[in-house]
Amino acid sequence: MEAFVYDTVYLRRDDFEEGKVLFETWDPNAQYAWDAGIAVGRYLQELKKGHLVGRSCPECGQVLVPPRMFCESCFHPTDRWVTLADTGTVMTFSRCYITWDMVQLEHPEMPAVIAIDGASPGMGIMHMLGEVDPDALEIGMRVQAVWKPPEERRGAITDIAYFKPVDTPNEGRED
Amino acid sequence: MSLLHRLEHAGDALAQRGDMPTEGRYTAGVAGERFFRAIKDEGRFLAAICVECDITYMPPRLYCEECFARLDEWIEVEPVGHVHTFTVVHQDLDEQPLPEPRILAFVALDETDGGLVHDLDEVDPEDVYLGMPVEPVLKEEGEREGSIRDIKYFRPVMA
Repeated sequence: MEAFVYDTVYLRRDDFEEGKVLFETWDPNAQYAWDAGIAVGRYLQELKKGHLVGRSCPECGQVLVPPRMFCESCFHPTDRWVTLADTGTVMTFSRCYITWDMVQLEHPEMPAVIAIDGASPGMGIMHMLGEVDPDALEIGMRVQAVWKPPEERRGAITDIAYFKPVDTPNEGRED
Repeated sequence: MSLLHRLEHAGDALAQRGDMPTEGRYTAGVAGERFFRAIKDEGRFLAAICVECDITYMPPRLYCEECFARLDEWIEVEPVGHVHTFTVVHQDLDEQPLPEPRILAFVALDETDGGLVHDLDEVDPEDVYLGMPVEPVLKEEGEREGSIRDIKYFRPVMA
């Protein structure tokens, strides 16, 4: 059978802007609503009230945060809501000197994974750190949530503005 | 709260809302470019022919859908046709009533094996029938942009 090969036409931005090619434009309405589900839905509601909550597993005793309806360790359905502290421990962190769209930052953003007090050891959430010298960051640092004022909370993880170090000495913690 | 929790109202869903800024650009393509430029610049309708398969493509294509051969043979066709099928639209895309019903038709162009989907006008919806002879009404030459909208609509051929 005969093979047909067609030329490929590469188009550049200028080809559109200078009217070299005919085209139709289309502005789709790309609004979306992502259903948070039962567990994360409640989690977000509680954030609005200024609480961090988890979900506990009756089978293995794990306390999960963010909450899930199934235990990620033993796949048993979780059955209880647990109110957690808004304090925790830095498990890992990063210092980012550029934004996601590659704008250079003078003061770095400091995302971290924070193990939340009251959840199973090592179980935590990702958030930003603030009120701290970037060079002073260390794994194991004790931090506490800085909440937005209630009227600014939207039922989102950003209802916590960031986590800041707390002065409570770390000595004596055995987990 | 059980696992089989049922929402009674859509607004009860706890949702994160957002908006993705997007703009699509759909090019006419190599064959479409030639087709629309001929309408824009000269008011002429071009079709592509597959000599092997004896098919006259309207709108013209770059290759034959039957044998995949490249279509290099182009002809000008008379832009007259007939209503192959039609529908009368009373609502817009948001289900709001239209001020005037709109007649959309697939117009088979008589000298081709294809046709164009377009509006019918200068005719009452009750008077449209399958097989009705129609012709395009083009925008004035300076107003044409190289789009399917360079054809304003099709109307019945005046006897």
